[in-house]
Amino acid sequence: MLSLRGEETVSFARDIRPILNSKCTGCHGGVKQAGGVSFVYEEQVINFEGDTGNPVVKPGDTEASEMLFRLTLPDDDSDRMPPADEHPEGLSDREIELIRKWIAQGAPWSGHWSFEKPTQPEIPVVAEKAAGGNDIDHFVRARLEKEDLQPSPPAEPGRLLRRLTLDLTGVPPTLEEMEAFEAACATDRTKATQNVIEDLLSRPAFGEKWATMWLDLVRYADSRGLGQDGKRTIWPYRDWVISAFNEDMPFDQFTIRQLAGDLLPGPTMDDLIATAAHRNTQTNNEGGTDDEEFRTEAVIDRVNTTWQTWGAMTFGCVQCHDHPYEAFRHPEYYEFLAFFNNTADSDLSNDEPVLRVPNDPKQYTAARDLDQKIRTLQNEIWKEGRKTATAAKWSALPLHHASSSNNTKLETKTVDGQHQFQTVGTVQRGPIYRLYSDFPASARPVTGIRLTILPKDPDKALKDSEWGFEISDFTADVATADGKETKVDFSVSIADVPYLPNEPNTLIGANGKGFEAWTRIHHTREIVMIPKQPIDVAGKKLKIRISNKGFLLGSFPLVVQRGFLETSVDETLTAFGNDPGRAQKRSDLAAAIKERNAIPSTSIPVMAERPQSISRPTHIFARGNFLEKDKAVSVGVPDSLPSLSAGERATRLDMAKWWVSDENPLTSRVFVNRVWERLFGTGLVATLEDFGSSGEKPSHPALLDHLAIRFQKDNAWSMKAIIREIVSSSTYQQQAHASAELVALDPKNRLLARGPRGRLSAEVLRDQALAIGGLLTEKVGGAPVHPPIPGGVWKPFQGGDKWETPPPGGEDRYRRALYTYTKRSIPFPSFATFDAPSREFCTPRRLVSNTPLQALTMLNDEAYAEAAQGLARRMKYETDGSVAEKIAAGVRIATARQPSQDRLDELVGLFDKLQAQYQSRPELMKGMAGSPDGAAYTIVAQVILNLDEVLTK
Amino acid sequence: MQPETILTELRKQSLEADTRRQFLQTCTTGLGSFFLANQFAGAAAGKPEHAPDNPLSALQPHINPKAKRVIFLHMIGAPSQLELFDYKPELEKLDGKPCPQEFLEGKRFAFIQGTPNMMGPQAKFSQHGNSGTWISELLPHLADHADDLCMIKTMHTDQFNHGPAQLMVHTGHAQMGYPSAGSWVTWGMGTENADLPGFMVLLSGGRLPRVGKALWSAGFLPSVYQGVQCRSVGDPVLNVSNPAGNSREIRRTALDALKRLNQKTHEEFGDPETLTRIAQYEMAYRMQTAVPDVMSIDDEPAGIHEMYGTQPGRESFANNCLLARRLAEQGVRYIQLFDWGWDSHGASKSEALNGGFLDKCKQIDKPISALLTDLKQRGMLEDTLVVWGGEFGRTPMRENRGGQEMALKGRDHNPGAFTMWMAGAGVKGGTSYGETDPIGYSAALNPVSIPDMHATLLHLLGFDHKHLAVPFQGLQQKLTGVNPARVINGILS
Repeated sequence: MLSLRGEETVSFARDIRPILNSKCTGCHGGVKQAGGVSFVYEEQVINFEGDTGNPVVKPGDTEASEMLFRLTLPDDDSDRMPPADEHPEGLSDREIELIRKWIAQGAPWSGHWSFEKPTQPEIPVVAEKAAGGNDIDHFVRARLEKEDLQPSPPAEPGRLLRRLTLDLTGVPPTLEEMEAFEAACATDRTKATQNVIEDLLSRPAFGEKWATMWLDLVRYADSRGLGQDGKRTIWPYRDWVISAFNEDMPFDQFTIRQLAGDLLPGPTMDDLIATAAHRNTQTNNEGGTDDEEFRTEAVIDRVNTTWQTWGAMTFGCVQCHDHPYEAFRHPEYYEFLAFFNNTADSDLSNDEPVLRVPNDPKQYTAARDLDQKIRTLQNEIWKEGRKTATAAKWSALPLHHASSSNNTKLETKTVDGQHQFQTVGTVQRGPIYRLYSDFPASARPVTGIRLTILPKDPDKALKDSEWGFEISDFTADVATADGKETKVDFSVSIADVPYLPNEPNTLIGANGKGFEAWTRIHHTREIVMIPKQPIDVAGKKLKIRISNKGFLLGSFPLVVQRGFLETSVDETLTAFGNDPGRAQKRSDLAAAIKERNAIPSTSIPVMAERPQSISRPTHIFARGNFLEKDKAVSVGVPDSLPSLSAGERATRLDMAKWWVSDENPLTSRVFVNRVWERLFGTGLVATLEDFGSSGEKPSHPALLDHLAIRFQKDNAWSMKAIIREIVSSSTYQQQAHASAELVALDPKNRLLARGPRGRLSAEVLRDQALAIGGLLTEKVGGAPVHPPIPGGVWKPFQGGDKWETPPPGGEDRYRRALYTYTKRSIPFPSFATFDAPSREFCTPRRLVSNTPLQALTMLNDEAYAEAAQGLARRMKYETDGSVAEKIAAGVRIATARQPSQDRLDELVGLFDKLQAQYQSRPELMKGMAGSPDGAAYTIVAQVILNLDEVLTK
Repeated sequence: MQPETILTELRKQSLEADTRRQFLQTCTTGLGSFFLANQFAGAAAGKPEHAPDNPLSALQPHINPKAKRVIFLHMIGAPSQLELFDYKPELEKLDGKPCPQEFLEGKRFAFIQGTPNMMGPQAKFSQHGNSGTWISELLPHLADHADDLCMIKTMHTDQFNHGPAQLMVHTGHAQMGYPSAGSWVTWGMGTENADLPGFMVLLSGGRLPRVGKALWSAGFLPSVYQGVQCRSVGDPVLNVSNPAGNSREIRRTALDALKRLNQKTHEEFGDPETLTRIAQYEMAYRMQTAVPDVMSIDDEPAGIHEMYGTQPGRESFANNCLLARRLAEQGVRYIQLFDWGWDSHGASKSEALNGGFLDKCKQIDKPISALLTDLKQRGMLEDTLVVWGGEFGRTPMRENRGGQEMALKGRDHNPGAFTMWMAGAGVKGGTSYGETDPIGYSAALNPVSIPDMHATLLHLLGFDHKHLAVPFQGLQQKLTGVNPARVINGILS
């Protein structure tokens, strides 16, 4: 580009940033900031005085800019930048010239393209408009015209139908559909195509196909990963994703529900199921593992996955240091992490918190109503109790005796007027504490006992929690001087929080429920025990017994490490305990719980916030190490992106809304790019995982912005609409043939002068084979299934996790691939072979490989062998005519077109040869059903299923 | 600047991307196309590139390789160094005494509670060979190879739970999802035998390791580099045998027809991937005989069976040692053996130092010794690196799970010190590297981290660990991770 004075105008984004990223940011970037200079941040370059005291870059002043001075020093000067030993090649004259001009032109700085909001580009005018098609084609053709390339003609109808059907529904078209479409195309191709697209988008199979893309991102699996990789029930979430696609849930809603459905006002069952997205993180239930360590890992994974999924940013880099190339500071990682750091889940082996999802969706509303009722009652009951307990006056209870059963030792000391007990030395699991106090003769009757439990080191525990406790029983006896003991009857216990996984507000010890900090303790906790009648303690001994049964992962005793007792003589406590109104509420609660339990449900892990009173503070981890906590931070998003309107008071819900706000420059682009990649094989930005400055630039930037705006604005985040728009373009509908010249010129088809062609995904390959073999079961949703798996593969670490395959003919043997039980440590072999990820972490893009093991799978795996038999049956029994006609029908079922004569001759020749072989040597058919011709059809079917044309779209 | 046409710019960009961060994809999918040949020619010098027609071709080594292949013997569960290789007379003296507090401060344990008691070595040690290497009485056959072994006594790791620690040993990261050492090596060195996978995995002991296939996963490298698990039951490699009714002859007939049909498809669509596919089907056909051949030990002479203690048809560590030699002979690059049952906590008979541990030692002693002898007599120990170890060490304290001493003897996990040994190509036999403290609790002199071990392994194979890297998710990803790692020069011959 030339300016008025005839001088080239330098663009920072186009010309300068690439030089900085390749030659400078290694030492002056986010990680290393030598001399305080970082070319990632404007303020650390422009007018920034580094160690030398000179501005690194002084806009308009090439003489005063230290950068240019250093760049132009001779190679052997030790101040030369970049240093000759690390960058022997230095900067080229051309690069130095660009930098000189950039400084001379005022050194304008700009953000990376993807950080700038997309603006609606003009629709290019092209010489030749596509028949049918839409605006997309204008962008593509404008580019082709510049390159002097011609688009390809439309694909033949059968092949187009196959492409559409596979891309939109993941299964091939049926013979009937092909015939109908070809007939309709003969009269009006455009209309026929639009009709078929509408039809395909409305099928349940659409959601089944597109869910997979999303499940890769949110790392959906039916197992927990890491240490034991036990089974996890979370499939209702998978079904939620399928329905969301099928119901065309707008992407903003889709986003908000998954990230923060639990924080929506009056969340529905579906809103809560959606939050399981981020409960797909791994947990570690191996013996001796630290729950806090793996809870932290899960939270970190949520941060990284969120940024990958919605932003295509490598935000994970910021966990340990400032981002090497993007403008993300180290503390900003933890500010974002703070949004996720206060959820109730904590790497528990029972996956708490869980949501009981009714097996029959018709009961969702009734179940939610009951859940709400239960929660409200619990809250009310707790609030009244807590109010009474807090209002009462408490006095320290002196301990005249403190001992423990087993090897656990207790000592007592007085701290701040409290008579504390504390463990010393080795704590053995399951200790029972005996805490005795002698009352003077003047003592008034005791109406309440309050137990306060402290972490061993309360200040430190707030940052680095300690192992928690579980009080499984709390009893008291009163002993007279002559040794006569009377058991105290308690009416109720009142905990310091309204509800916990194990509801503590009835009475400790009742129904096996205890009081606990499960499994970690950050804050001081307390519980009040109220006797039915005031306890007459005058001149007597109060003997309290606390039982600590908790024991975790074969290793960690969950016991009270430190605490103190207080008593009250305030009669409001006993009055509260005996209040008939409270009893009524309790019985209402019990009734509601009973009613809810009667609804058959499946429990799945979901997101829920911890009560504010025991919330976890978030600290920066020094160098990313969770054991080294640095200063505390509050919630926030990076400064280089639009700010949050709620500021520091923002919640996870505000964060979710931020991703889909009008101002966010990333989300819409990132999503349309994913859709484009699924349809064309390569994204407009090829690096689906990286829209940052180390990622690739878009091949068609204006088209990307056009689609982003179409998606976000014009189509109000409709996922179906954007998919419809892309497949309706004539660009998508071109034939895929490529001349040698075109392959040489544009091997990856980035210019789109031809239609997409590429190997089908692992899931589609299998579903297609089953469909071609006439075996596929069309049943949407439900618990994971166990199709045939090669012998010896299924050896799970936990023996109880069985793989039970239905017999041949059984419906669940032939379900769509996405319903297959996904165990992280034992990926389903044929899927793994065809590059399906094992879902430990967010997978934004699958690499496509082409290996001999894939050939062995397609030829020999049981599922494909059954599919070949199925296709053989269809040819032999379900088709009329000669052998050639039968085989031609088989090819058409599999490829959506009539075989050419030479191909048909090849297959018929194969059939004849095989039939003769089987006839002359029947022993070859051993283990195969039927006759020589049946066996020959099976092998022919196998060849058809392995055709390159069948394995690709 | 001459304004570049958009296309040229685009091609340049794509080229850069390919060489810089995305060649992963092309190196697997590309075969036989002139585009790739062009791209190959245009690749910047020094960037790793595979031959365009073969992702299993070798990359240019950075340094002169000493080893051509690796046999890695992992004892899942973490064998006790204090009963096998790291002789600690001081610990003997402390036997039964409470552990001094200084050893407990700031430590996290898997199972130990509070203050445990110390426990002396539970086996007798003596010196062996000319080198005088200390080896306990529990490995008498291996002791005969004392002068071949290079003991690294100061291995340490930052993980003290099995799953993450095993992942550290094999992928250099404590989370699932990263490429294993075998994948990196196969990516770097390819395979010598086009009819066999370059990276094969053999398991004994009946259970899959807890993180399963993540230990031999290709992570973000293409799946062609992942370990292929070989089995003694069923197909030696999944789907290597034909379904009923498909004789080899019939398969050939079918493949010939398939090949001709796919060639027509290539003529029609011009997609280079189609040619790759034809080649892969042919390789699969060859593998179908090559794999069963190499995996059958029936024809080994009686003397060999006697030496290893093998019995054809059984699943055993001994059989796997013999198979390892056969695979090595056939040009497999990285042979990974896992043996199960080394987690000697003392919580049950099978996992006690005075129980199952003794059986485990017997099960590996003779076969490993035989493997070393066998490789040596075939002249293969010169260019084969054998590595032995677990995922961490065990504590000098006796485990007191749940806060009380248990009936059987055991030790808890200790990430602070453990012994691994190497033998063969490029390492100094009969040496002992590093010293642990007097009780064998932590690495005192010359500590060696897992990334150091990986750096050394890659070095022996001809690669600088800093440069065997691929860009992924914003980082130059390496087996040795982001923290500094060093080659242990002290063990190189």
